[in-house]
Amino acid sequence: MLSPYGLDIIESCLTCKLRTERLFCDLSAAALQTFESIKYATAYPKGAVLFVEGQAPRGIFVLCKGRVKLSICATDGKTLIVKITEPGEVLGLSATVSGKPYELTAETIDPSQVNFVKRDDFLRFLKEHSDACFKVAEQLSEKYNTACHEVRSLGLSHSAGEKLAKLLLDWGSKNGEAAKVEPHLKLALTHEEIAQMIGTSRETVTRLFADLKKRQIVQTKGSTLVIRNKTALKLIASNN
Amino acid sequence: MESATQVSCLECVGRPGRLFCDLPAEALQEFDVLKSVNQYPRATVLFREGQPAQNVFVLCNGRVRLSVCSESGRRLTLRIAGPGEVLGLSASLSGSPHEMTAELLANAQVALVKRRDLLRFLHEHREACLQVVSLLSQDLHFAYDRVRSVGLGRSRRSRVLRPH
Repeated sequence: MLSPYGLDIIESCLTCKLRTERLFCDLSAAALQTFESIKYATAYPKGAVLFVEGQAPRGIFVLCKGRVKLSICATDGKTLIVKITEPGEVLGLSATVSGKPYELTAETIDPSQVNFVKRDDFLRFLKEHSDACFKVAEQLSEKYNTACHEVRSLGLSHSAGEKLAKLLLDWGSKNGEAAKVEPHLKLALTHEEIAQMIGTSRETVTRLFADLKKRQIVQTKGSTLVIRNKTALKLIASNN
Repeated sequence: MESATQVSCLECVGRPGRLFCDLPAEALQEFDVLKSVNQYPRATVLFREGQPAQNVFVLCNGRVRLSVCSESGRRLTLRIAGPGEVLGLSASLSGSPHEMTAELLANAQVALVKRRDLLRFLHEHREACLQVVSLLSQDLHFAYDRVRSVGLGRSRRSRVLRPH
């Protein structure tokens, strides 16, 4: 089988082994059959833009493989990364459902496989399959929770150091690392991208990391970051 | 002065213009049985950030402030919700704690539905589920707009709310 951008493309949702682990994809047999007939499987290289903020909604994108950066841009070019999405997430949902322009820009940060469904097809699909409709409601709820979390972090944190500490603790609480005394996290983003996640400059992020390392709160081993002193990081995150 | 409680959704005159409330007859009948209606005084907190989601609230009249709070007690208003809005939906559907606090800005009538009843209701009534999807999409648009105004200092809409 051809594998563009080094991706092992999953052609059919019906035979996808990862389906059951994913919130949206784990549909009933009837819904899955319909979904299979309306989706277009596409492979994208790193840096491909799936949709742009302000664009009229064309449809939804189910991320099968890779990662996608969701960002908001100001007119002066300042960018804020709202979320890094993982496989299984549906992108462009709220705009597709409401008919309003996409609120975010979605750009792949790895070579990615995406299943695209046209807006009209997707809306018909939701009307016909109540289980899919419920899953979409669940996905939207999670996105809403994340957006509220983002507002809290951006609007109520006093300093860039506090925001960075919160971000690292948040990452450190995922992928089974939460219970560990010294969580390990893969730093897959550049300092520039981390700066865009917390609404500060690249220089500030570099300076903050240098300070955290100097105080032995974190340590880097290649692209892995180890939180050595979770308590101290929590203190910074709570602005004490 | 409190207004008289309008107990039945079937007789509600405000219903047709409201996204969630304007349900098909059969769904409305069932919803009417599931919900309980209460009058609450101003400043009542319907739910607090971090609390597990046990109920969903449909605001029949009045206004509600939705806000988030920092550990130090600073509060940031997300938006003001009005009549017909469903509050506590996202936490109820995702099963996670409430992401915000909902506080009444005026005396209000609120219909309350237990989380488990709502989930069953949505599974059984496709139209209601579609309405919920539309509501959540709308909420998400507002939330992203808020992220934009807080994070980048601008808003697409004229409605700009500030921390207080």
